[in-house]
Amino acid sequence: MPEIRVTPLGAGQDVGRSCILVSIAGKNVMLDCGMHMGFNDDRRFPDFSYITQNGRLTDFLDCVIISHFHLDHCGALPYFSEMVGYDGPIYMTHPTQAICPILLEDYRKIAVDKKGEANFFTSQMIKDCMKKVVAVHLHQTVQVDDELEIKAYYAGHVLGAAMFQIKVGSESVVYTGDYNMTPDRHLGAAWIDKCRPNLLITESTYATTIRDSKRCRERDFLKKVHETVERGGKVLIPVFALGRAQELCILLETFWERMNLKVPIYFSTGLTEKANHYYKLFITWTNQKIRKTFVQRNMFEFKHIKAFDRAFADNPGPMVVFATPGMLHAGQSLQIFRKWAGNEKNMVIMPGYCVQGTVGHKILSGQRKLEMEGRQVLEVKMQVEYMSFSAHADAKGIMQLVGQAEPESVLLVHGEAKKMEFLRQKIEQEFRVSCYMPANGETVTLPTSPSIPVGISLGLLKREMAQGLLSEAKKPRLLHGTLIMKDSNFRLVSSEQALKELGLAEHQLRFTCRVHLQDTRKEQEMALRVYSHLKSTLKDHCVQHLPDGSVTVESILIQAAAHSEDPGTKVLLVSWTYQDEELGSFLTALLKKGLPQTPS
Amino acid sequence: MSAQREAAPPLARSPRPPHRLAAGSWAPEVTVAMESAEDWLVESLRLYQDFHAFDLSAATRGLEWIGDKGVFVAGYESLKKNEILHLILPPRLSVKENQGLFPERDFKVCHGGFSDRAVLELKHVPDTRLLVTSGLPGCYLRVWRVAEDSDVIKAISTIAVQDEAGGLWPRLAVFSSAPRVLHGARLSSLQVLDPESGETTYSSGISDSEELSSLQVLDGDTFAFCCASGRLGLVDTRQPWAPLESPGQSPGSGGQRWCAEVRAGGSGPGPCFSSLGADGQLRLLDARDLCHPMSSVQCAVSMPSPSPELLRVTWAPGLDNCLAISGFDGTVQVYDVTSWEGVGSQVEPLFTHRGHIFLEEGEGHAAALVTTHTWHPSKPRTLLSAASDASVHVWDWVDPRAAC
Repeated sequence: MPEIRVTPLGAGQDVGRSCILVSIAGKNVMLDCGMHMGFNDDRRFPDFSYITQNGRLTDFLDCVIISHFHLDHCGALPYFSEMVGYDGPIYMTHPTQAICPILLEDYRKIAVDKKGEANFFTSQMIKDCMKKVVAVHLHQTVQVDDELEIKAYYAGHVLGAAMFQIKVGSESVVYTGDYNMTPDRHLGAAWIDKCRPNLLITESTYATTIRDSKRCRERDFLKKVHETVERGGKVLIPVFALGRAQELCILLETFWERMNLKVPIYFSTGLTEKANHYYKLFITWTNQKIRKTFVQRNMFEFKHIKAFDRAFADNPGPMVVFATPGMLHAGQSLQIFRKWAGNEKNMVIMPGYCVQGTVGHKILSGQRKLEMEGRQVLEVKMQVEYMSFSAHADAKGIMQLVGQAEPESVLLVHGEAKKMEFLRQKIEQEFRVSCYMPANGETVTLPTSPSIPVGISLGLLKREMAQGLLSEAKKPRLLHGTLIMKDSNFRLVSSEQALKELGLAEHQLRFTCRVHLQDTRKEQEMALRVYSHLKSTLKDHCVQHLPDGSVTVESILIQAAAHSEDPGTKVLLVSWTYQDEELGSFLTALLKKGLPQTPS
Repeated sequence: MSAQREAAPPLARSPRPPHRLAAGSWAPEVTVAMESAEDWLVESLRLYQDFHAFDLSAATRGLEWIGDKGVFVAGYESLKKNEILHLILPPRLSVKENQGLFPERDFKVCHGGFSDRAVLELKHVPDTRLLVTSGLPGCYLRVWRVAEDSDVIKAISTIAVQDEAGGLWPRLAVFSSAPRVLHGARLSSLQVLDPESGETTYSSGISDSEELSSLQVLDGDTFAFCCASGRLGLVDTRQPWAPLESPGQSPGSGGQRWCAEVRAGGSGPGPCFSSLGADGQLRLLDARDLCHPMSSVQCAVSMPSPSPELLRVTWAPGLDNCLAISGFDGTVQVYDVTSWEGVGSQVEPLFTHRGHIFLEEGEGHAAALVTTHTWHPSKPRTLLSAASDASVHVWDWVDPRAAC
């Protein structure tokens, strides 16, 4: 069936839960399996009942692809594979495979231990789920089965994030996931080749955003840090082990150097070890600059940034500390937070989204009194800043990506079609592509025209060329031949060759028609008159008068004979082969009208 | 603290360590440009309270507020389809408290529409969902409606307006008391239009065809005009044409182009005109005596404006005696007019925004020129500025005198 079907799963129009079903040439692929962080009940999971009402999903899906480790793209994966049931392959890049389980486990701990949720996936489920993962490299074509293949492209955004091309035969779809078109300090920009997919699937929010420049975001961060340390305060920056932390360290290091600042900056050692470990594994995923620095020296041998010791937290005076975990839900960052929260000169900068139930989430919601263990109430007087360093594409970025990939159509998820008329027009006009915007649960069907390659035999090609010059090289041309389909192979050969190959004898089908005409002249004269008539009427055809008295028009034979019983009636026998049916019928009809009365 | 000098040479740099901010390998010229950008950003930490920089897909000559949370911008390319966009400012610029808890720093495109002609003037009709634009080619007004249930800005009517000599487009000003638009390319073609009915409710009715450069509505019955020659006037629409006005510029002043803005309210018994000329002259005039300027100064611009049509002078709605000028180069200058008097003195700006020069992307292009600027209606020191390289900045400058 030459069509591609796309359905974003789940109820409501909310952004925050990516899970898209694609049906291409009979293969079913699930793109991402994210969690909606805003809900505490089943609404946080995509609606898998769309695929099947009951039973395991293994038979209905050929594979699952995860674009990157953010929870709104992989948070529902263990639930999907272990609680709903799926045993097929799950594809993701190597860094994603390494980092996903850590985030999922963190998330699980928070949900179960902190919020006391029942019916949540267990640690074992996370492990079992990850066993089904097949890791892929960038630009590596992976055969899922003998028809379906996938390929990952660099997406920027976070470590290991990829855009995926899904291909069956000549039909393909590209899913961007989250991506970024401008390089930042530790990651490069997304890139894709001119793969010309039938469809490019991306986020509608990108298209309606115009992003503040990266420099201004960095400026804001530096300003907040600088102001805090200038007044003698301490800055806590909770980070996850990878990615953003490096970015911010490089930024601070450069700034400290330029401004000749002496305030100490610390990086907790747990972070350093983990980060170094991951960077060694995934060095190819970072940008050129980081790779060079890593080769020259250890990632964390900054001039101004030192390893942290928990005792330092009690030191007087200003300092900046990077500590894990990122959502302030446990561990060192929470410890430091408790020590510093009571002083309004201090500041905590949260660099990312925090899951409900964590201290991070609470303070970002504006809560200033927190209940800690043992009923202790912590008053938060320190300044709380929420900064987003996540690099996402925007309207300009989408256009750039569409320009690179050159898809036939674009599909935007998480938008409302009737509210986005201008946007659709803009994309359609700028790139002459169709633009679709399905709602969650709504299916978009794209007709495609698959191209089927057919080999043509040399003999047939030569014959066609002999018949007329191929003057207009790129124009379609009508051929007569026989299509032989054998073992998924298509060949076009001449009829004679086909018969020979198939071991069949050629049969000819010949029609003969009798036309009765009233004419007293002799047969030869009759034939001559027929010849003259046809010659003058059928200027485009080859009309010949043969020595035996018969007339030929191309390969059609006309013979004049006398009627056996009535000498005044002549019978014209018109004979043609099956291939000349059209001309034969035409001739017959023409002759039935009679011959013109010409003077002999 | 001394006021800043305009067009200062690049800030002196201390020797840099090999550790560069720029990623990847760059040609040396570009590295230098990047470094000044970085230097400027570090400087900006103390110059600005807040600063946002955006890149539109096409440059705009309009920054028109709708309420205090959104602005309209529109392209002005002559041979392309231009976009008119309704942008919503990032929430952190609108909230009064807890700004720090709003991480989003981006514009959202709320509505958009297409114009087949360059949009040179753009005004929102207050309390309606209507926009009025004018531009080239042709002398016309176009009325647009901003949809409620979708993201479309749709053209609903085009009104041709006569222009004898051609090549001009009508200036626009809107009334807030009733949905009416004041328009005209010349004094003779000044009219007031009801954009919904298309009916003209007022005409200047005079034959003087002097070219207009600024129009401004002061209240339900009064508007001010400034001609390109510098001639200023206040008109009462209830009377036949008899404006309070200044004479046109005396021949000695070099025939430069002028624009003007009247300060609404403020201290002083009558409206105060500020009139800016293409060579940097700025005059302050009391509406009761337009023949004798209260003061006339020379602004700190290094050369006359290369595009006098882009000249713009605006009074700060939230600060006493402050105004901003642009249209000479890639800067916006803020002046405090409190102690100005007499004729001919040189004045220094209180603050100069150089972001459009230092953050210019791309090498080898002509230097960016600020096409327009506007003050935030409620945040006293916040401005928006747009430049010819399609950049739009939102900046909240620190008053250099505050620290002293």
